[in-house]
Amino acid sequence: MKTVIVACGSGVATSQTVASKVTRLLKENKVNAKVEAVDLKSVDRYMDSSAAYIAITKVKKEYPIPVINGIAFLTGMGEKEELKKLIDALK
Amino acid sequence: MQLLGNIVDYLLGMGASVFVPIIIIIAGLLVGMKFKDAVSSGVTLGVAFTGMSLLIGFMIGIISPAAEAMLESTGVSLPIIDGGWTTMATISWSWPYAFLMFPLMIVINVVMLVINKTNTFNADLWNVWGKIFTAIAVAGITKSIALAFLVAAVQIIFELKAADAHQNRIEKLSGIPGVTCTHKMIFFGAILYPFDAFLKRFSFFDRKFDAEALKDKIGIFAENHVIGFILGCLFGVVARYSVSEILVLGVQAATALTLFPVITKYFMQALAPISEAVSAFMNKKFEGRTLIVGLDWPFLGGSNEIWLAVIFTVPITLIFSMFLPGNQILPFAGIINIPIAVAAFLVTGGNLLRMFVLCVIGVPAFLWIGTAFAPYMTELANLTGAVSLQAGELISNSAIDGPVFSYAMSHVFMIKDGNFIPLLVLIAWIIGFVMYYRDLMKEAREDEAEELIEEISAE
Repeated sequence: MKTVIVACGSGVATSQTVASKVTRLLKENKVNAKVEAVDLKSVDRYMDSSAAYIAITKVKKEYPIPVINGIAFLTGMGEKEELKKLIDALK
Repeated sequence: MQLLGNIVDYLLGMGASVFVPIIIIIAGLLVGMKFKDAVSSGVTLGVAFTGMSLLIGFMIGIISPAAEAMLESTGVSLPIIDGGWTTMATISWSWPYAFLMFPLMIVINVVMLVINKTNTFNADLWNVWGKIFTAIAVAGITKSIALAFLVAAVQIIFELKAADAHQNRIEKLSGIPGVTCTHKMIFFGAILYPFDAFLKRFSFFDRKFDAEALKDKIGIFAENHVIGFILGCLFGVVARYSVSEILVLGVQAATALTLFPVITKYFMQALAPISEAVSAFMNKKFEGRTLIVGLDWPFLGGSNEIWLAVIFTVPITLIFSMFLPGNQILPFAGIINIPIAVAAFLVTGGNLLRMFVLCVIGVPAFLWIGTAFAPYMTELANLTGAVSLQAGELISNSAIDGPVFSYAMSHVFMIKDGNFIPLLVLIAWIIGFVMYYRDLMKEAREDEAEELIEEISAE
């Protein structure tokens, strides 16, 4: 099963909220993947094992895997586009 | 009323790990969750409570003896255990009236939006516990649940106003449009603002740092396991433990701090469906109106300055805790003081040197107020069984979000016993808040005007 990571400053509150929501959305779209909330400071350690990175902070660095805008899942604005990007990344 | 009281007593008697899940299952069904999903949420919440209870017990078991040994070796008595925000959240959610805070927050937010007194929709349903936290202290001091909710309502309104005012600056600092921070921690800006206004006069502070390079070098000190290990070893040394005891305490302390966020995640998981249902409801209700979405602080976590200020504040807090008169809290789980760093970050607009100075100025407030809140949090923990404490053990947090507001708004009722100090603190906070609010709004208007001029000249 492919893994998606979600990261915010604390690795608890916001990232877990987004992770729970994305898990549900993927399930509804019949996409099988594990969504994990991680600490922002440890994101680099997950790059090899993850298929996509949902970022809740502004991303300045380049990453080897697709980066999805996590704010969209909190505000609902642009959520469909970001979800589609994520599903494409998981194919 | 008698029957209601009996029901509440019966539920309380079962402990937080049972009665709070029952409440969330009912709440989940009310917002239209499927039965099996609601039960799953409820059980997850029970796991979160029981897990936190285990972990807090483990932490007390290692820190209490160390604190006693430190008292013997140094003569400094710091009997209050610092459980950090995760412990405070656990105790807060165990308050029997906690879940009534959801409808209160939603109703106030809707009313404020309808009468155009705010543009912010607070989507951060997790930090409802921050309102519950203040309410618990009010209830502890006044014995009045009605007053507790009244103060919580005032806090909800201030959070929306602060969020409105911060939106422009947050967009500039984070690069993320359309969102703001509704977290109570930004309230501390009202206290820091006058100090920052003074510091601004000195060009000495206007130096540029490569915050990113610096954070890459020392960022590891903000990671829970590393700071936990260092603190554990430090306590062991001060307590004159043997080398092997010092290392064991170091690893145990690292374990406690590493596992706190892991367990806290289960709270979020359990509350997520309710949070989503509320967001969906608000988006539908205000369709066509562009709302600023109020979020918890972590979306600001990409700013390296915050982490540098957090790391800088660690030794400052430890030094103050030993020498500050009136402090009784031994900094531990709250040592990663995000609330002070985020407030300083927003007030200074990310000026690292001024953030450092403001953190030094601010730390005593956190220690004093952490000390002041210990009796109320301990009392509730004992009442609901959210945390098991031995007689005489006290628990609090050395990094209470928006400490001055939380203290002043709850302790102001001590006026009935002739204590006027909290009232004076409250007045000072309000003055600071109004000044800071005006400054932020002025900046937002100026930025808007500038953008307009740029647009016109571009045409």
